[in-house]
Amino acid sequence: MTSRREQSFTYALLGVFSLIALLPIVGIVFTALQQKGGGASFGSFDGLHFDNFKRAWQDGNFGTYLKSSAIVAVSVVGISTVVSILAGYAFGMMRFRFAQPLFYIFLLGLMVPMEAMIVPLYYDLRDLELTDTYWALILPQAGTSIAFGTFWMRAFFRSVPPSLVEAARIDGASSWFTLWRVLLPLAKPAVLTMVVLLFMWTWNEFLLALVMVTDEGLRTAPLGLSFFVGRNQADLTLLAAGAVIVAFPVVVLYVFLQRHFIRGMVSGAVKG
Amino acid sequence: MGAVRFSEVRKSYGDHEVVHGLDLDIADGEFMVLVGPSGSGKTTALRMLAGLESITGGEIRIGDRVVNQVAPRERDIAMVFQDYALYPQMTVFDNLAFGLRRRKTPKGDIERRVREAAASLGLDPYLARKPGQLSGGQAQRVALGRALVRDPQVFLMDEPLSNLDAKLRTQTRGEIKRLQQDVRTTTVYVTHDQVEAMTMGDRIAVMNDGRLEQVGTPEELYERPANVFVGGFIGSPAMSFITAAAEAAPGGGTRLRAGEVDLVLPGVEGLPSEVAVGVRPECARIWDPSHPTMAGPVAGEVSFVEALGRETFVGVHVGEDRRVVVHHDGRSALLPGDRVEFGVLPGALRFFDAQSGQALAPASRVAA
Repeated sequence: MTSRREQSFTYALLGVFSLIALLPIVGIVFTALQQKGGGASFGSFDGLHFDNFKRAWQDGNFGTYLKSSAIVAVSVVGISTVVSILAGYAFGMMRFRFAQPLFYIFLLGLMVPMEAMIVPLYYDLRDLELTDTYWALILPQAGTSIAFGTFWMRAFFRSVPPSLVEAARIDGASSWFTLWRVLLPLAKPAVLTMVVLLFMWTWNEFLLALVMVTDEGLRTAPLGLSFFVGRNQADLTLLAAGAVIVAFPVVVLYVFLQRHFIRGMVSGAVKG
Repeated sequence: MGAVRFSEVRKSYGDHEVVHGLDLDIADGEFMVLVGPSGSGKTTALRMLAGLESITGGEIRIGDRVVNQVAPRERDIAMVFQDYALYPQMTVFDNLAFGLRRRKTPKGDIERRVREAAASLGLDPYLARKPGQLSGGQAQRVALGRALVRDPQVFLMDEPLSNLDAKLRTQTRGEIKRLQQDVRTTTVYVTHDQVEAMTMGDRIAVMNDGRLEQVGTPEELYERPANVFVGGFIGSPAMSFITAAAEAAPGGGTRLRAGEVDLVLPGVEGLPSEVAVGVRPECARIWDPSHPTMAGPVAGEVSFVEALGRETFVGVHVGEDRRVVVHHDGRSALLPGDRVEFGVLPGALRFFDAQSGQALAPASRVAA
């Protein structure tokens, strides 16, 4: 049992950290809601003025950017999720030759940062005539996401009692059936957590979009936001509204999946 | 039909061989228990039979078919796992029906067979529940039902009772035995618990260190253990062993000497000069000079007392590291540290070669 004093201290500490995390977010939302040209500073509240969002949406061409981001993020997350589940199942559940070295090769994608590969990647994709297309954004990000996803799903499959898979094998289930019907329903928290993380990382990727696309119609939201910032240095409320628009889809996804997200993050921490 | 034959079956992990040429015949309809301590290879043998482990050498047959290269799902077996391995997201009904559905059994058949199995195991009220909503005993019965409903050639059971409490274990032991007798399906049951082995098996195969030590009925194993290991493993409390020098006694019989033990066993002839004497608790009693056949007395110091109510087992230290467990009807007033004299019933003693540990041929021992 924790004493009352300890409990109060814990809550105070948690409160401080929550404030540190929340203040910038609340600040930017409040700023985005300020009256245009009101002269107010960052984070102060002077009522709900939704006009800023409308202005930012129109001036900043965010409709196009969000569409590009959505196409890239949905494609990357879709491809990576399916491939990661399959690869994680193979590495986690099957015994085959060279499994260990192959897995380390997969991990390379997790260890090498995008900054280190961006230059050769640019030349490769240019040779393939893929720069300035969605493929230039989807393929490299799918590659790194599959590296993480495989690592993540392998860890999940390793935590499943082997007897469950053996029982299914004896009961007549094929590997394919065992994966999709026996294991995947159990993997829901792990898969959804992976989806949220991959979506967030893909959505926020900036450098790749900056290097690979020049066409305005292909720019993703973070890249569009940076151009928008460049154009509207003076208008703080407009910048804040743009930032909120770009962050909104990730927040929505997180809110919908947060229950599973927390479960996925802690699964395997304690014996179920 | 569902007879099982292991012929010279070997299993290695890298250079390390864990099953050394297992030969075992299990008759159709037989309840065979594989028993042994941890690491004896019993579970590996079962898993090789299930097809969950490949075999390094030899041959396994189910019925008249060699199954070395046959996938588990095509071996026509059903297995009950130690942790039950129920599908957590499915209801009890779906768990029971899983194997039948995979085999494309007609829907009506599935319904009937699941209901029958559920009825025979008292699972009717739980068919709509998920495994997480069941008690340990109920989950165990679902695992049994999942095997039963398939009506396979062979049931494989891997320590299915080890997660249950003592009372439930005794109850389920009887239930499994009853079910097996009803359906007469060949059953291979792995356990490390010799009480389970003795009470359930038609025959028992005792394994140790990857080798088969002895196969026989519970009675054979108890009465005629093939070696010191089996003698010590089967029976609770375990058989006590004393390595003694043996010589012919002047008036007939054999004189055994080991430290404070100096016994003349009338009617026992032909022992080598050194033997390991196996003493079951029930053939060692508190000394009673009026007993017609009791040999003794042997004096020693009480080292422990296990009072079970109806009977008491007294551990008596008889010098060096020798200890004999003595049986006493009802309660005993003895306490650790007391001096005590006991005698043995010569006809119930077992003799083993002191070096090899193998039982000495019955011909060399004349039962009194």
